[in-house]
Amino acid sequence: MKHKSISLLCFLILFSFPSGAQDAITTTEQLIADIFEQYTAESEDDIDYDPFYEELIFFSQNPINLNRTLREELERLPFLSETQVENILSHVYRFGPLQSIYELQLIEGLDMTDIRRMLPFVVVGEASEPGRKIYWHDLLQYGKHVLFLRFDKGIETKEGYRFFPEEDVNPAEESGKKYQGNSLYHSLKYRYHLKDKIQVGINAEKDAGEPFTGTMQKGYDFYSGYAQINDIGKVKTLVAGDFRANFGQGLVLRPEFGMGKSSYVLNVTARNSGLKKYGSTDENNFFRGAGATLRLGKIDVTAFYSNKMIDGDTTNGSFSSLYKTGLHRTIAEMNKKHTINQQVLGGNATYTHLNFQIGFTAVHTILDNRLEPDKSVYNYFYFSGNRQTTAGFHYRLRWQKLNFFGETAMTDNASMATLHGFSFSPLSQVSLVALQRYYSPQFDTFYATAFSESSRINNESGFYLGAEIRPYKRWKIAAYADSYRFPWPKYGIDAPSVGKDYLFQTDFAAQRNLAMFLRFKYEEKQSNLSETGAVMPVIVPVQRASLRYNLTYSFGSFSFKNVLEGNLVRRAKPDQTYGIIASQDVSYTFLSIPLKFDLRFQFFDAVNYDNRFYSYEKDVLYAFSIPMYFGLGSRYYFNIQYAFNNRLSLWFKIAQTVYADERESLSSGNETILGNRKTDLRFLLKCDF
Amino acid sequence: MKKIILLLFCISFIQFVISQISNVIPSSTSIAQTSVADRHSWNAFHNPAMLGYLEKSELGLQYENRYLLSELSTRSVQVGFSSKLVNAGVSYSHFGYSLYHEMLTGLALARNFSDKFAMGVQFNYYAAYFSSTNSYRSALLTQVGLSARLSPSFSIGFNTFNPFQTIIITEYNIKRIPGIFSLGSEYFFSPEFVWRTQIDKEVSSNYRFATGFEYQMLQHLTIKLGAYDSGYLVPCLGFGFNAGSFIADLNCELHPFLGLNTMAAVKYRFGK
Repeated sequence: MKHKSISLLCFLILFSFPSGAQDAITTTEQLIADIFEQYTAESEDDIDYDPFYEELIFFSQNPINLNRTLREELERLPFLSETQVENILSHVYRFGPLQSIYELQLIEGLDMTDIRRMLPFVVVGEASEPGRKIYWHDLLQYGKHVLFLRFDKGIETKEGYRFFPEEDVNPAEESGKKYQGNSLYHSLKYRYHLKDKIQVGINAEKDAGEPFTGTMQKGYDFYSGYAQINDIGKVKTLVAGDFRANFGQGLVLRPEFGMGKSSYVLNVTARNSGLKKYGSTDENNFFRGAGATLRLGKIDVTAFYSNKMIDGDTTNGSFSSLYKTGLHRTIAEMNKKHTINQQVLGGNATYTHLNFQIGFTAVHTILDNRLEPDKSVYNYFYFSGNRQTTAGFHYRLRWQKLNFFGETAMTDNASMATLHGFSFSPLSQVSLVALQRYYSPQFDTFYATAFSESSRINNESGFYLGAEIRPYKRWKIAAYADSYRFPWPKYGIDAPSVGKDYLFQTDFAAQRNLAMFLRFKYEEKQSNLSETGAVMPVIVPVQRASLRYNLTYSFGSFSFKNVLEGNLVRRAKPDQTYGIIASQDVSYTFLSIPLKFDLRFQFFDAVNYDNRFYSYEKDVLYAFSIPMYFGLGSRYYFNIQYAFNNRLSLWFKIAQTVYADERESLSSGNETILGNRKTDLRFLLKCDF
Repeated sequence: MKKIILLLFCISFIQFVISQISNVIPSSTSIAQTSVADRHSWNAFHNPAMLGYLEKSELGLQYENRYLLSELSTRSVQVGFSSKLVNAGVSYSHFGYSLYHEMLTGLALARNFSDKFAMGVQFNYYAAYFSSTNSYRSALLTQVGLSARLSPSFSIGFNTFNPFQTIIITEYNIKRIPGIFSLGSEYFFSPEFVWRTQIDKEVSSNYRFATGFEYQMLQHLTIKLGAYDSGYLVPCLGFGFNAGSFIADLNCELHPFLGLNTMAAVKYRFGK
């Protein structure tokens, strides 16, 4: 105790934190940029950022009490590695409750950058609080309501909105191929929460091109709602409406974004387990029904049931694929809407004891129509039928300084997937992680999301090593190497193939207002050289190397960011193509008025699609832009935020991309825009009451 | 006969795919074969300068199995003698099976200069069996190694194997013996935790880049983690067991195409 007091005093003298609270939104946005930019580049699917963002903003308003937190809660901060979470919990367990936030510096594995990142989301509170009942009047008196209203509009007219019946040979048929609604996107979100005990939400969304009025559709295209209660007696979680269920490492159940390969090299384990309300506008990856988790001593038992309609191209009682875009703009897309009934029954039982946790998860899915994919080589083993059962065991074990984790799952066709790994931190400056995975080609489930190279948990084996080293104060080195194999052909690769990825990043936080990093990334995969489906497929290695320099600095109310990135891609020797992107960001926060704006100017030159770039942009609240660029051109945006008062805030963004490579149109199909420019407007109103 | 042809094909294919430096040079006990700067372990045919750091005489036996094929295994034995003036070592390695095999015998001399740097030289006798002529052909090779301790926690190492690129010519074959240059580093974060890196270049093959961490978790147990790239990225995992005079190592490598490669080694150090 005496030693602890002296240490605290020394650190108080030597160090000081910023007097004001960190900007949670800025921190959250930076995290999203760090993680999702890289993940978007790797993933074949659209990423749903909403839950991630919403959760961090929730923690900024309801910070985690480090003296009463559990592992599951701390793991919801994605920038904390497994080792850091363990060290925080272990420190509190061994030395008692934290006395002050400064004490975080005494915890192994946390440096100043990590602590500053944590500050908006954590607090050092009382170690034990007497349980307080919630009364009906508390709901009205202490509950917080928020309403969001958002509009998006593209300025240029897309092909899908151009309809000239006097020019078409078959105007009726042509009309059906066009978008049936106008080009305005709008969404409405309502949120209510009473601390972290009760949460209620409603979403309504209409995508651009979807009708809002008329005979085909009245009102919004997508509605979603939930109600969640936490920690009431033995009920750990009770959720009704739309929700997600995540357990283990995600080989059985995890229908949401999972941390894959990124510069957070140690964050490879699945987190955020349990039932969670679903508040995103993604129209697919969620359950609709009810679920509950009961805490019975050291065992948590969860059960849930879902019954909802999903989209697919159903014909004569079968369909070839699920339609996951959620877009219902044309007649054909609207005919796919809600044609299949999906029932899901699932559960989990997890036993936790000090350093050990083991759990069992099972899920059974029933479709009222058969899924019959159009068979090809690459999808030969994809699931077909209308029923599937998947089950698996997952575990965690802490021994000495080693943290083991893993899961093994099996479907009812006896195909297996398994993932195991460990992390350890032999010294406070060094942390390592190793992860092995094997997903058989026959393993194909609906709700699995786990660590992998490709977005589908199927047909892959690999070994990943990650290391993070803090050799000196303010410096951090992060690196990973991943070697993987696809034992069966994949889409675009007509033979078994191998690949490897490397990342090496050096971060330097020179001062509180100046930070930079240099990132080198190298990937080598194989891809078809021959035409898809050729009798004698020829695959060649495709190598991609990229180097990125990122500098952020602030001066008074101004903050700046510079990014310079280049890549080289070699598809077939000796030819290689290059890409370059450079951007300048400026943000200014007025002191006398509640106004903030962000500006960016960006230049890009990517010779072809292989050299494409992804670049995170600031946007209106809860909107995420990680546009993709290839070709030659520039982009700029202007983002403004104004708070009328404590209850009403406005966001507005205008962005334009201009291409200079003499193209006469952008995109394709109904998204085609004539010309070389694309301009978007975005508007959001937030009301707290 | 089919089995022989298939095995010979496998050997040549594996040589191509793995770009391995040489099958007859046994893998080192250092993880990811980052042995050129490993001052705490002398590995036969890796860096003779490390023999100079030997404080006690030792005897080592090693067995390596590649890709679960016994015909592709390497067996080796090494004996090191420690003296005040100069340390000496004798090592022998055998790769293959009855119908195809290579052998390497080495005699090494090394000296440690006040723990600042060490130098070693090794004379190797290489012999290979050629089934086409049903005979052995042999050659003498040299190997030179250096090690320099730049600070209490950082040192570098250099090694060259067959720098003169000796080859063997028979009536039907030309057997090229690899000429290898290796450069590596070793950094101790703490007495229990070390990080090593290494670059190897066999004259006519790809570069090999390797890195590895070794951590002495418990008094008797070391855990090792590493990876190397020689065209394919190969992750490595290993354990070391130290029971006083006996030291045992178990390393595994997972090649993405060919599968598992395992190595087990036991050493006995004489004296107290």
